[in-house]
Amino acid sequence: MADVDTSQTPDADEALAQEVRSWLAANWSGAPVDAAGHRQWLAKVVEARWAVPRWPAEWGGRGLPDGQARIIERAFAAVGAPGSGQDRTNLWANTLLAYGQPELKQKLVPRLLRGEVGMCLLYSEPGAGSDLAGLRTRAERRSDAAHGDHFVVNGQKVWTSNAATAEYGMLVARTDWDVPKHQGISFFFCPMKQPGVDVRPLRQVTNESHFNEVFLTDAIVPAANQLGDLGQGWSVLQTALAYERSLMGEQARGPRSGAAESTAEEPLIALAREAGKLGDPLIRQELARVVAYKKLNALNTARAKADLAQGTSSPIMSLGKLAMSRILHEEARLRTALLGPESLLEGPGHPRAEDANFLSLNAYFTSIGGGTDQIQRNIIGERVLGLPKEPEVDRDVPFRQVRGG
Amino acid sequence: MATLAREERLAFQDQVRRLLADRSTEAEVRRTMELPAGYDPSLWRQLAELGVVGLLIDEAHGGTGAGPMELELVMEEVGAALLCGPLLSSGVLAAGLLQALGDADAQARLLPRIADGSAIATVAITGTSGTWTPEGVAVTATAAGDGWRLDGEASYVTHGQNADVFLVAANAPDGLAVFEVATGAAGLATTALPTFDHTLRLAQIRFAGVPARRLAARGGAWDAVEQALDLARVALAGEQAGAGRRVLEFTVDYAKTRVQFGRAIGSFQAIKHMAADLLLEAESAISAARHAAQALAEGAPDRDASISLAAFACADAFSTITATAVQMHGGIAFTWAHPAHLYLRRARADAQLFGTPAFYRDRYVQQLGG
Ligand SMILES: Cc1cc2nc3c(=O)[nH]c(=O)nc-3n(C[C@H](O)[C@H](O)[C@H](O)COP(=O)(O)OP(=O)(O)OC[C@H]3O[C@@H](n4cnc5c(N)ncnc54)[C@H](O)[C@@H]3O)c2cc1C
Repeated sequence: MADVDTSQTPDADEALAQEVRSWLAANWSGAPVDAAGHRQWLAKVVEARWAVPRWPAEWGGRGLPDGQARIIERAFAAVGAPGSGQDRTNLWANTLLAYGQPELKQKLVPRLLRGEVGMCLLYSEPGAGSDLAGLRTRAERRSDAAHGDHFVVNGQKVWTSNAATAEYGMLVARTDWDVPKHQGISFFFCPMKQPGVDVRPLRQVTNESHFNEVFLTDAIVPAANQLGDLGQGWSVLQTALAYERSLMGEQARGPRSGAAESTAEEPLIALAREAGKLGDPLIRQELARVVAYKKLNALNTARAKADLAQGTSSPIMSLGKLAMSRILHEEARLRTALLGPESLLEGPGHPRAEDANFLSLNAYFTSIGGGTDQIQRNIIGERVLGLPKEPEVDRDVPFRQVRGG
Repeated sequence: MATLAREERLAFQDQVRRLLADRSTEAEVRRTMELPAGYDPSLWRQLAELGVVGLLIDEAHGGTGAGPMELELVMEEVGAALLCGPLLSSGVLAAGLLQALGDADAQARLLPRIADGSAIATVAITGTSGTWTPEGVAVTATAAGDGWRLDGEASYVTHGQNADVFLVAANAPDGLAVFEVATGAAGLATTALPTFDHTLRLAQIRFAGVPARRLAARGGAWDAVEQALDLARVALAGEQAGAGRRVLEFTVDYAKTRVQFGRAIGSFQAIKHMAADLLLEAESAISAARHAAQALAEGAPDRDASISLAAFACADAFSTITATAVQMHGGIAFTWAHPAHLYLRRARADAQLFGTPAFYRDRYVQQLGG
């Protein structure tokens, strides 16, 4: 350890912790009440260079190593302030920074960090879900006076969360049909507010409409909005997916009612007490099991982060999403068991039943969305444990010859 | 409790790993587990020289002066290598109990011999109920002249048949206390119990007016027993986590090389998905064990809950991993010659020692306020 970097000494750490704490003390006065207030806060965080401390200075960062960036994140978390650690969690900004063209980066990265750009993911199609590389949305390169260098996009996307409010969608589309399926895909920031983009809401099992069908008919995407090289979209996508999955392993949406859940006590234990079942030995066993799943996932995540800070990558990172999906399904099952026949009911008069029923449906958001549990197990088996891949009949064939479904 | 610097700790773990890779091979484990004593005295000496046996013992008494975090890491290696021996009995339970009791005279007399491996000590807590709680204690103590006499029965005493010294929890007229009994004391009858896990040694001990020395207890005697048990729980959690990880490793290796239907069985999703699920179990066990060790070392507010969590999470994980590993191997793992059953047996044993997973689950809920 001859060349110890002085920026990482305990003294430097302590000074940094001091700096961020006093900045927060001077600037943070509790959660903003509305979306505009939230954006204003984010702008402040970006301005003060706390948003993306691992990034280089030219993009609003501080070029800090992971360990020191964590110090900043912990200080923010300690007071409940959002906005830091976006170099880890902002899937849009990270993907754009890594693969975007200079002009688009200048235009959008700062706005993305300030939370000003509504975004969505234009990946899945009716015929391409788990097998995303089988997508058939087509992007063709054109050039004319009206739009300059651009792509014309035709096809259909589905399950697109938040498409209705999005300004851009991260789009994967096929640009070459004569090469095998993974090689002919390109990645774009597709402007959503244009005549060629038609968003139609879908009613979900939760009776909400967050996700949509998106019909792309001669939609225009400027060539400047292409990320990565032509035909290299699959590797851009892998980066974006990794951010998305790691987030899904750490957090999930809670009860919709947001009903009085004290933070002092584990909500499941409080619910068991309320339901008069805390003394039931079988319920107690189940409580321990489910609470343990949650705690173990948190411990795993903490250990993965510590490994990362030590400079070693951790296989645990890829386990989080699978773990979270088990947590959500099991937690919902236990809530339902605690309520018994009350779970037959719904509506504002029955918030506990609403929560249990909503959570048991919304658990599928994590076990299907972002790649199903089965696909996650394939990935862990193959990329982490090194088990051989399943033979794929369509892997090396020009896509034009591949059977659709 | 004491803690080494991180680098020191990892270096120590590495030394233990290398010693065990050399001396606790599968062949050695199989040889040793068939010996009546169930451990190899020469390896035991080497472990003592390395400072493993006296890991928790203060340097003043000839030990290493380390704490729960080092113990946990060492036990990961011990579990992976299926080490046979009285480490848990002598180095963890007995040493931990003596240090917790704080009887200076007994410490000076016993700890140096425990640390250098020349004496094997064990702790007798539960009777035949196998509960490791105050209610489970089935030995009574009565004053006799200057000393004490013990009557009753203790069971599931780890390495009782190999012990030179017993530390016995017994109910005295003024409450529970810990007594020191030497092997060979009059009225003491030790019977080896046949164990399903052949790498483990258990004994039943009958006391009929056995002369005993009462040990002073700085705090309550049961508090001291609980402190020793906490160390044992953390140790066991580490053992289970390390063993589980090893089983997963050799199972995944097998799935890469065993070919059926013209391809490696690991390419079948039925197998691949089991492996992925087991990785989650294995990594969660490691996290739980290490967190419990750290919470104990630091006396963290969530210490007790973390130890309960590790106790059942690691037991469940190791049991699930070994059971599934047998299935993933197929017929080969149903043979005596294959190592899978050695781990399966250890998993079943570890899940019962010092309290069942169900007991710890219930205790966990209680510790969380429920
Ligand atoms: C709430 C929600 C929000 C979503 N948001 C978005 C979004 O914003 N943008 C977006 O692009 N997509 C989104 N999705 C889509 C999501 O990514 C897909 O639903 C998912 O990848 C599965 O694809 P599919 O629905 O076509 O199912 P299919 O791929 O048809 O899968 C059907 C079943 O077959 C299994 N299966 C398929 N292939 C394999 C295999 N190789 N091995 C083992 N089993 C296999 C699957 O696990 C599943 O059980 C969202 C989905 C949900 C539920």
